[in-house]
Amino acid sequence: MFGTLLSQNWKEKTRSSIWAKSVVANIFLGFAAVMLLSYAVLLGFFISVGLEDMIDSDPIDFINKALLYYFFFEFFLRFFLQNVPVQAIEPYLHLPIKKGRIVHFMLRKSQISVFNLLAFLVFTPFAFIRIGQEYGMYTGFMWWLMIVGAAFTVHFKTMYLKKKLNDIPNLFVIMFLVIAVVGGLDYFNIISLSELSLLLFNWILAEPILALIFPLSWFLTYRINYQYFVNNTYPEELSTSKNKTKIRGDFGFLKRFGRIGELIGLELKLIIRHKRPRSALIMSGFLLLYGLVFYPQEAYQEMDWIFLFVGIFVTGIFFINYGQFLLSWESGYFDFVLTRKTSYRQYFEAKYYMFVVAAAIAFVCSLAYGFFGVKIILINLAAFLFNIGINIPLVMRIAMNGPKKIDLNKGAAFNYEGVGAAQFLIAIPVLLLPYVVYLPFRLLGNDVIGLILVGVVGLVGFLFRDKTIDMLTSAFVKNRHKIASGFRAQ
Amino acid sequence: MIQVSELTKAYKGVTVVSIPSLSVAKGESFGLVGNNGAGKTTFFRMILDLVRPSTGQVFSKEEDVSKSEDWKYYTGSYLDEAFLIDYLTPDEYFEFLASLHGYSSGDLNEYLNEFDELFNDEIRGKKKYIRDLSKGNQKKVGIVAALMGKPEVILLDEPFANLDPTTQIRLKNILKKWKEENQLTMLISSHDLNHVTEVCERIVLLEKGEVKQDIHTSSSTLKDLEEYFAQY
Repeated sequence: MFGTLLSQNWKEKTRSSIWAKSVVANIFLGFAAVMLLSYAVLLGFFISVGLEDMIDSDPIDFINKALLYYFFFEFFLRFFLQNVPVQAIEPYLHLPIKKGRIVHFMLRKSQISVFNLLAFLVFTPFAFIRIGQEYGMYTGFMWWLMIVGAAFTVHFKTMYLKKKLNDIPNLFVIMFLVIAVVGGLDYFNIISLSELSLLLFNWILAEPILALIFPLSWFLTYRINYQYFVNNTYPEELSTSKNKTKIRGDFGFLKRFGRIGELIGLELKLIIRHKRPRSALIMSGFLLLYGLVFYPQEAYQEMDWIFLFVGIFVTGIFFINYGQFLLSWESGYFDFVLTRKTSYRQYFEAKYYMFVVAAAIAFVCSLAYGFFGVKIILINLAAFLFNIGINIPLVMRIAMNGPKKIDLNKGAAFNYEGVGAAQFLIAIPVLLLPYVVYLPFRLLGNDVIGLILVGVVGLVGFLFRDKTIDMLTSAFVKNRHKIASGFRAQ
Repeated sequence: MIQVSELTKAYKGVTVVSIPSLSVAKGESFGLVGNNGAGKTTFFRMILDLVRPSTGQVFSKEEDVSKSEDWKYYTGSYLDEAFLIDYLTPDEYFEFLASLHGYSSGDLNEYLNEFDELFNDEIRGKKKYIRDLSKGNQKKVGIVAALMGKPEVILLDEPFANLDPTTQIRLKNILKKWKEENQLTMLISSHDLNHVTEVCERIVLLEKGEVKQDIHTSSSTLKDLEEYFAQY
């Protein structure tokens, strides 16, 4: 039974169109995962053999002090990134299988997770090399058992809390307060978490048998989850997202701008009513601060050619972020896009102007960077003009190449739907092209002329926008059937 | 109104639609029947320029639908949920379409009032996104949206499926009324032989992508069709 379910689960993953269709994204993800895990392994060996060169105190004391912080960190990591795999059991609920078995399956399977490997990889070498040497293998093993038990306890604890979040809406606030208070007490040295951690984990070293508490709590939290899920296995209660009846956004004022305004209003509704595009928007807001990383640093004043890159990024992040999935956002109703009473040209005009306005808003905000020198304003102006004249049409064109379907109702974290080769390609021209214009002049010592030329090239592109939108439209008309069938098939 | 010539569609060498010639006259009500996989939806999609034919063309008012966008302005359609913007409320969706048709809010209200009976108080003025509506209610939204703007042609795929009996009967009456009052050309596909023979004057039977029968509806049509499908 367990085996059958597991194999079906595996098939679900490997046969999902997302997996098959976006090979590039998967290779990238796999690569990132391997990197992360090898870092964990390296860190594990480093703290086992190299730590005493770095710090004055005893390495074991040091690690024991840090452990509590580590588990807090892991808790947060899991809380925001780890999914509760409830959706996977929905198709089994009506079948003649005991509910308990399905829940057992779901809970056991959930333990196969990268997050559970993390503590294991980091602390296993330490347990056997360092602690094993100083306290004997038995103690080392017990300490290791404690780490593993604690990691899985955190695993199930987080899972339970995330579920409870639906029942107790204020839980998040309460948790936040608790952590703020504990963090505050620690910060002002009223109680010391590190001392507490040291006390707790040194106790294990003194009395290794006590380490059994942790595997026990692993088992206990498992049982609590099991009880909860057996009693609450109804799809509507399990779903992590609450049904919001609130209708957001109106944008009625855009109607004054005619059909184009109407289409932009629709797209804005799309953006603010779904998690993933919304977080792309919020990201763009945050990245306005990106300049603060560069401008105040002494080191970057020497290599201020990099500021053009910052300018492109700061004024253009929205269309880079959102525009790379240009058509995919609307893949759910793409047939309607093709048959409704708007011409294809209006469709692209609306998108183009939306990106121009977003870039303009970002540029106006970036004027505050004038504080770091007037030159920065000039750089950002050149970057802004280049963005609206050249980069926006370019991103829109690249995004039209084999776009992939995006399910808007899925969240933003670790969601690589829609990512294909085009998305990796975008960064190259967007960041490289302005330098093709700028760098020759820069190297000849005519910095300002180079910047002005970047701006002029962008301005010319903007003045010919009708032509570029025409080109985008005809490229779309040529590919529309292929794109539509791609969205439909998945 | 609509002419089809040498139209075929093949996926990986398998022909799913093959119609050498077919024409639908203005004001005609055209019913398409056939089992699953007969190619009904693919045929409709080709009429709406959503699928590129392997060979042949579809002409709407003598214009190739894949070459010009004119047909969009007098053709209403609802095939499936991909025709709805599911993150809008029904009211917002209707307003959006009304703006495309150049309706004032008064026009829109007047238009929607015609369908009050069909909506049964479950669609308008509710704070609910289309994606949270039941399948039947989604279909109502799609059909009413397709009729907006007094189209000359309308294409509906399985309009009766998922609807409750009362609504099925109401929808039938609405379609008949619209056809008579507005000279509407209707193309309807359905598995419900009862309804489709009642609404449509002409029935075309597709089997594996080919036209097997093309008949003018008479009193015996329903029986003949039932026999045909029973023996299939």
